[in-house]
Formats: sequence, structure tokens, C-alpha cells
Amino acid sequence: MSAPIDADDLALLAASFESVMADAPGPGEADQALNDLGWPDLLAAAPGPAAAMAFGALGTTGSAATLLDDLVVHALGLPISPDICVVFPGDLHTDPAAPQPGAPPDPSEGDFLVVNGLVSSRIDRASTVVVVEEQEYGPVSSTVDAGLLQKPAVTGVDPAHAYRHLSARIPPDALTPLATGGFWEEAMTMARAALAHQLIGGARWMLAEARQHAIDRVQFGRPVASFQAIRHKLAESLVQIEGAASVAEACLDDPDPLLAALAKSLAGRAALTTATHAQQVLAGIGFTAEHRFHHWLKRTLVLDTLFGSSKSLPTEIGRDLLIYGTVPRLIQL
Amino acid sequence: MDPETFRHDLTAWLDANADELTPPYGSSGSMDEHMAHYSQVKRALFDAGFGRYGWPESVGGLGGSPLLRAIVGEEINFRDLADPNAWTMIEVLAPTVIDFAPPELSARLVPPFLRGDEMWCQGFSEPDAGSDLASLSCRAAKTDGGWVVNGQKVWTSFIEYSQRCVLLVRTGESDSTHRGITALLVDVDSPGISFSPIETMHGRRDFAEVRFDDVFVPEERMLGEENGGWQVAMDILPYERSTTFWHRGALLHRRFSDLVAQVSASGNYGDAAAQAVGQVLLSIVAFRSRSRDTQHRLASGQPLGVETSIDKILITSAEQQLFETARDLLPGVIEFDDGAEAAMWRTDYLYSKAASIYGGTAEIQRNIVARRLLDLGPES
Repeated sequence: MSAPIDADDLALLAASFESVMADAPGPGEADQALNDLGWPDLLAAAPGPAAAMAFGALGTTGSAATLLDDLVVHALGLPISPDICVVFPGDLHTDPAAPQPGAPPDPSEGDFLVVNGLVSSRIDRASTVVVVEEQEYGPVSSTVDAGLLQKPAVTGVDPAHAYRHLSARIPPDALTPLATGGFWEEAMTMARAALAHQLIGGARWMLAEARQHAIDRVQFGRPVASFQAIRHKLAESLVQIEGAASVAEACLDDPDPLLAALAKSLAGRAALTTATHAQQVLAGIGFTAEHRFHHWLKRTLVLDTLFGSSKSLPTEIGRDLLIYGTVPRLIQL
Repeated sequence: MDPETFRHDLTAWLDANADELTPPYGSSGSMDEHMAHYSQVKRALFDAGFGRYGWPESVGGLGGSPLLRAIVGEEINFRDLADPNAWTMIEVLAPTVIDFAPPELSARLVPPFLRGDEMWCQGFSEPDAGSDLASLSCRAAKTDGGWVVNGQKVWTSFIEYSQRCVLLVRTGESDSTHRGITALLVDVDSPGISFSPIETMHGRRDFAEVRFDDVFVPEERMLGEENGGWQVAMDILPYERSTTFWHRGALLHRRFSDLVAQVSASGNYGDAAAQAVGQVLLSIVAFRSRSRDTQHRLASGQPLGVETSIDKILITSAEQQLFETARDLLPGVIEFDDGAEAAMWRTDYLYSKAASIYGGTAEIQRNIVARRLLDLGPES
């Protein structure tokens, strides 16, 4: 779809989005405020640029708004609505309570399907849940009544973000396959590119905090920013961020599944590297609950996990290369 | 001409002329063979027109976007048709000579370089001026009608095959640092120039040490202003880091494809191999994407500057990661195997160690990023 918005409009919108996100305390309030700003229309009009702008803002502000649900729902051809929640794939252990792959079904429990994935805070109020099953001919998306799922409590490393691990068994006849079930790969491509922008936004925030701290913090009679060991950590972070940002931008012009997976992996790699370096440069203060750094560190861990991590995605991609024995020529002049 | 049509026509021509263009020496070959073949390919591309696009008409080109030059070098490197370092010398030196030489001088000297009849080299580094280039001491003294050069240069590639050398010399006081440097375009056959090859650890003799003993250089061979040589040197960097890097990126892509094909053929699809291969692809794609952005900025006439240090760090990391991964996934090949293929992996592995040294070390690049892009203030 062509973008009916130009770069200046987008920059203005980005400022409004950031200000709304920074002011809204919880995901519910943020979602409502972004809705009022016209996020659904923007997403429908120009999904790629809208997602890049909005997810970048999520990253820099640390907002817990649940735009990822909207993005995927829209890509699947469903109406954008706060009543719909998506079960996202992530790098997760299998719930020990769930049957292991290959284990014989327990006849006493009847026939059921296992839903295993990550859900946003939308699960608390949604009426419909979108799930994806890997079937023989590829992934199939379906909806299920939210009442059939037990809502998991908020736990984990980043409760402010309120993503949680959902692992549930549902009867197969509870699923209503989407007429547009074949669009899952497109939805996943969109989601990975958007998450890349969010990770990069977060990495830029962490780098900016560490940079300012290095300039302000005086030890041995001079700013610690004057020490080469510190400078090189920050420089390395910027290099990785810019490399990842370039690929994430390239996804806007070329919604290619492989490119989006690479962008997501690179962004995760850059954000994790930046988090490590920023933590070290922030030193003591960065380890306190008082400094906001830890929120971004924790957010980075969660975002890296969603839709495949900077370790699992490259393994998947690398395996495909080895199976086919060739490398596609990505990124043309 | 639009880049896509150009690439289409170029690849069709390269395919049609593959017999003539493919190196006869296979994957090995002596330096003499490499250079002779380089000239032949360069000449063939010039005669067919493809080698002239992207260069101004004033130096024998056919005009058009510099992207077209990036495409030619990319296809040459994807197909391994010519020595990559020889191919790229013109991209490093000619644009700056065109920017700074008097127009009639570049109109006379650049065309033979473009046709492949000539090779040029670069005299920047000195034994005591590596990372600290502004401390160079090879001196040019004013004389009647020109300069007399005395001193030494090092790491000069291809001088043995070269007709001209872009030389940085000290023309100010010895402590004048970057303010007292002048750039000259010197004929390599001038009396008083002597050189001896440097044998490198990867077994090639691309580099040389060069001595200048009372070498006369006519004054019309000055590039830019007297004591304005630093500007000339800084002008070279963005060219080196746009088109040249794009060419090298294509070489890395080809060698990565070779690695994937070999590991695939060995049946190793395990997690460790898949992870390592995937991580190399990430690094190569990050570099290519960044480098493409830089190419487009260059083509649209935007100035390139210190931000190209990021491109340099990305390509260096990708190159070293690629060949370390080759060593991991082809166990024992680099260390023990004979044969042309093993020799190539060995050469490339060893040469990749230089990537974080030449063109400004990895540490200097990070210093630049810290000072100029992150604005961290002075170093202690």
C-alpha cells in the first residue's frame, strides 16, 4: 500500500506519539490515548511507515502500549479493536504441564490443542484471541473465544510491560479458522520489522543515558567519558545500532520475510550489546531501581524473545542457507 | 542510465564474454598474472562502455551516477574476474585527483588509468606515521619550477606496476602537523624513486617500501593548495569508504556463499554451524545496507564525512567474523590442507587480520565515532 503521508507529517506524528506515550502510565491508558490520536487510521493507511514511527516511539519512551496486537490483527485482515488479543510466538520453554511433542495423547483428557505463546496485557479485557497453528502446509491462524482461556497472571522480569507466557489446552472445535489464515507470514514480517524499530529505539535511549552519564560523572578529576575504554564501548554500541537501523529501514521498502528476520535479529543483537555496555558505563547508579535504565534492559530481554531472538532466528536462517547451499543476494543498490 | 537497466546490460555482457574475462590462472596466479589480467578486463569494460559510466566526460567517461561504478565493481567481485584490490585503486585515487588537480592535468592523466593501461598508487603512510598520519616527515623543498622530495613511504600497494603515485609530503615546518602537508601527483619513473617489496604474512607482495632521494616534481603536479594536502587526504576517505567498500562487500558475499556451499556439501546442518552462518549473514547484511545508504548519499551529491567510520567498522567486523567462521566450520583446512581452495581460505583468513589495521585502525575508527559522532569531548 502506498503511503499517503510524507516524512514531515510522520515526524510531527512521532513527536505527538512520544509525548502521549511518555504521559500515559499504563498500557490501557496509552492504548486509549493513541487511539484518540488516530493510530488505527494511520496503521490502515500506511502500515509500514506507521509501524516504524510508532514502534520507534515505543522504544524510546519505554511505553507498554499494546500496538503489536493491532499490527498483527490488521495484517491478518481483522478489524483493529482493543477486544482482540494475539498469541505471539516467542523463544519459550515448553510448559512442563503440557504434553511433550510425540507423547501419546492421554485419552482421559480427550482431544485438545496446546496453545503456547506470549500475550500482551490485552488478554485481560479481550473477548477474542488469535492463535496460530503450524500445520502441514504452513501456519494457520484462527480465533478462539477468550472465555475459554485461563488468563495468566502478570509475572516475569518486566511486569510493567505485562507480557506473559500463555500455555493452555483448548478443544479443537473451539477454533474458528480465519478466512485470511494464509497471511500469517506477512503478519510475522510486519511484526518483526516493527519490533526491530522498537528495539533500536530502546537501544538509542540506553546509549543516550550512558553517554550523558559518562559526560557528567567525574572520577580521578575528569569525566569518565574521557577514558578510551568507556568511549569504545559507547562507540561500539552506536555502530551496531546504526547497522541494525539501516536494515530495519530497508524493510520499509522491501517487506521481505528474510530481511525482516535479519532486521529483528540485528536489532536484538544491537540492543543487547548496548544494554551490556550502557550498564557498565552507568555502573553503580545503573544497578539501582531508582535509575530508569533497568526498565529498558528488561524490556530488551522481552522484546528480543518475541517472534524469535537474536540467537534463535540466525540459527533458523543459517540452517536454511545450509540446507539450500546458497545465499540470496540481499540489499541491492 | 538507470541502475537496473545498467546492471541488466552489464551482466548480459559479462556472461557473453565470460571466456575472455575469466582469469586463466584459476584461483591462484602470480602477481604479474593478476595485474596483466586486471588490465585486460579493465580495457574490455572500457571498450564496451561499461567501464566509462559514472566517470565525468572530462576524463574520458560517459557521465552518469557513481552508482554505476559501484555496480561494475560489485559484479566483477561477485564473479571474481579481477584482483579486488587492483580493481578498486581507481575508486580510491581518481575521484580526488579529479576534484583537486587542474582540469587539463586530470584530462590528460586519468583516461589511461580508466582504460586499464595504467595503475596508480598511494604514498601516505610512513614508518613513523601510521595511525598518526599528520606527523609524516617525507619532505618536499621548493626548487626552481617545482619540488624536491626526500624521505620514505611504506605500505604502498602496486607501485611495481604503477605509473603515478598520489603522495603526501611535508612542506611546512616539521611540527606543522596537518597544516603543513601538500599532496603531489608524482610519476613513478622519476629519477630518485626506489622501492623494495614487503613480504606479508599472507604470502603476497602487494606492498612496498618506497624511498625518495632528491626526486624532482614539477609544480603543476600539485593537488589542491600548498599546505592543503590534508584536505586532499580527507577527500579520499569518503570515496574509499563508499564505492571501494561496496566492492569489497561483494567479495565478502561471494566468499560467504563459497563457505555456505562447502559446509552444506559436508552435510553439517547442526545448530552450531547454523548459528555461526546466520550470525555472519547478519553482519554482512548490516554492512551492505549501511553501505547502500552511503552510496545513495554519495550519488545524490551529499557530502560524506566522519560517519563513514561506521561503515568501516561494520565491514571490518563482517570480514573478520566471516573468515573466523570459515576456520571453525572447515576444520583443519586453513591449518593443514593443500590445494587451491585451501590456499584461498588461508590467504583470505590471514589477509582479514589486516582489515582492522589498514585505512585507519579499528581503534582510530572508534575514537572518531566517540569524538565526532557521540560528542564525548576530548580523550584523557
